[in-house]
Amino acid sequence: MYITYSIKTAFKSLIDEKWINLLCVLTVASSLIIIILMGLFLFNIERLADKLHERYGMVVFLDERLTENEIRSLLSTLQSREEVSSVRYISKESAMKELKEHLKEMSYIFDGLDVNPLTPAVELNIKKKYINAKNIKDLSNDLQKINGIDEIYSAEKIAESINYFYRSLTNLGLIIMITLTSGVIFVIYSTVKILFYRRKEEIEIIKLLGATKSFIRMPFLIEGSIIGFTGGLISIIVSFLFYFAITYRLGSVFPFVETLIFPTEAIFVFLIIGALLGIIGAFIAVGRLRF
Amino acid sequence: MIYFENVSKFYDYHTVLKSVSFTIEKGEMLFITGPSGAGKSTLLKLIYKGADFDEGEIVVGNYKLSQIRTSEIPNYRKNIGIVFQDFKLLKNLSVYNNVALALRIRGLSEREIKARVSEVLKRVNLRHLAESNPMALSGGEQQRIVIARAVVAEPQIILADEPTGNLDPNTSIDIINLLKDINLNGSTIIIATHSPELFKDTGKRVLKIDASKIVREMKG
Ligand SMILES: Nc1ncnc2c1ncn2[C@@H]1O[C@H](COP(=O)(O)OP(=O)(O)O)[C@@H](O)[C@H]1O
Ligand SMILES: [Mg+2]
Repeated sequence: MYITYSIKTAFKSLIDEKWINLLCVLTVASSLIIIILMGLFLFNIERLADKLHERYGMVVFLDERLTENEIRSLLSTLQSREEVSSVRYISKESAMKELKEHLKEMSYIFDGLDVNPLTPAVELNIKKKYINAKNIKDLSNDLQKINGIDEIYSAEKIAESINYFYRSLTNLGLIIMITLTSGVIFVIYSTVKILFYRRKEEIEIIKLLGATKSFIRMPFLIEGSIIGFTGGLISIIVSFLFYFAITYRLGSVFPFVETLIFPTEAIFVFLIIGALLGIIGAFIAVGRLRF
Repeated sequence: MIYFENVSKFYDYHTVLKSVSFTIEKGEMLFITGPSGAGKSTLLKLIYKGADFDEGEIVVGNYKLSQIRTSEIPNYRKNIGIVFQDFKLLKNLSVYNNVALALRIRGLSEREIKARVSEVLKRVNLRHLAESNPMALSGGEQQRIVIARAVVAEPQIILADEPTGNLDPNTSIDIINLLKDINLNGSTIIIATHSPELFKDTGKRVLKIDASKIVREMKG
């Protein structure tokens, strides 16, 4: 098999043209670093957005005169809505208790009160995909029609801005990542193309000796994948050091930084992505071979 | 083994070969001669698909060259060893690796490659120069590398374009004797040469081309 020859040829070319290859590796690494940090940012933003969504709830205030059975059937009506992930009933009494706990030492203001002015309520948790202005509005319009529901607190504007914020960041991030990924392919493509043209004469000779397309392509594909893989390796190391540095150095000052996560799967994924982009770039660079 | 049937080749209205027909038997050793510019190199090029012909048909073994698919060309060429007039050596490979390339392309193991290359380099008297860069060697030495590369895989067909163009008379005889040996082992050989000394007294068939046609067939 000629694979040993292909590997040797690829390494020989990497060494013979070390400066152009080094520049290419560093360019690839730089782009991948930005992609990784961007991905890390988006990954953590998504976790954050999920947390915010978990906290988002809709509150419906009930008519005080509802009987226990009526409340029970109302709860199951609410629970059966597609948008609703869970419901929690808050009775007058527990509402008062929560309020007092919340106010702590100021709770004495209720001391003179012998009637409970609060109304029973139900807190609805909404599934993530339904948290947007339109769905929340539709839902609250529907709920308004149900007997026994007095008032609804929906805060659809808050829901909408959380989503808008998250979506804009994701879209922007994805555009940058796609652009840089194309950039990585292009840089490897250009480098391999230069190396290919430098060896054009040699390749024409090898064709006449009976070399197949894959025999000619293989060294370039190997070279491209090594460039991509090395770029990936460097970018992972640098990004991880960066992540390590900010979580340990800044973590004590800004506690939220400590909650940032660097998924270990990313390490392997980016090595493979690097190599893959290298192969793609090299494959395009070698192009169609004519005999 | 090789049939030319009314083959014509034009370069921009300039006729290089016109209705050329001949047959070479399997295992034959044939000389093609004629003045410079007669079309000898072009004829060999048509056989290894280094150029396409415009009329007629060439049949080599089981291949009809007008119909051969691009994807089949590499495998077709593996049947042929070529001694190029302009050598076509790889500048950045050693003598050894230049010759080994013919076997690497054919997928042989490095162990087998080593054995075969050493043997052929010994036959062309280049063993001591195996690790040299071909560009540092003399014309005659380069010529012998090219011959070694053409014969090392023991292909069915060997095309040699002026294989002694850069050699002194004595070495030329050695090379022809080497090609004769390889011919005895079964390879079909076509040698293009403008110098009659090469085929003199060989007893082999000689085709003379001039002004785009085969003008004479004789015995060397
Ligand atoms: N690629 C080409 N383009 C145009 N003319 C060519 C080309 N190759 C060869 N020729 C012409 O074809 C003729 C035959 O050339 P060639 O086969 O090299 O002759 P020989 O090998 O017998 O000296 C010459 O007149 C040459 O100029
Ligand atoms: Mg010639």
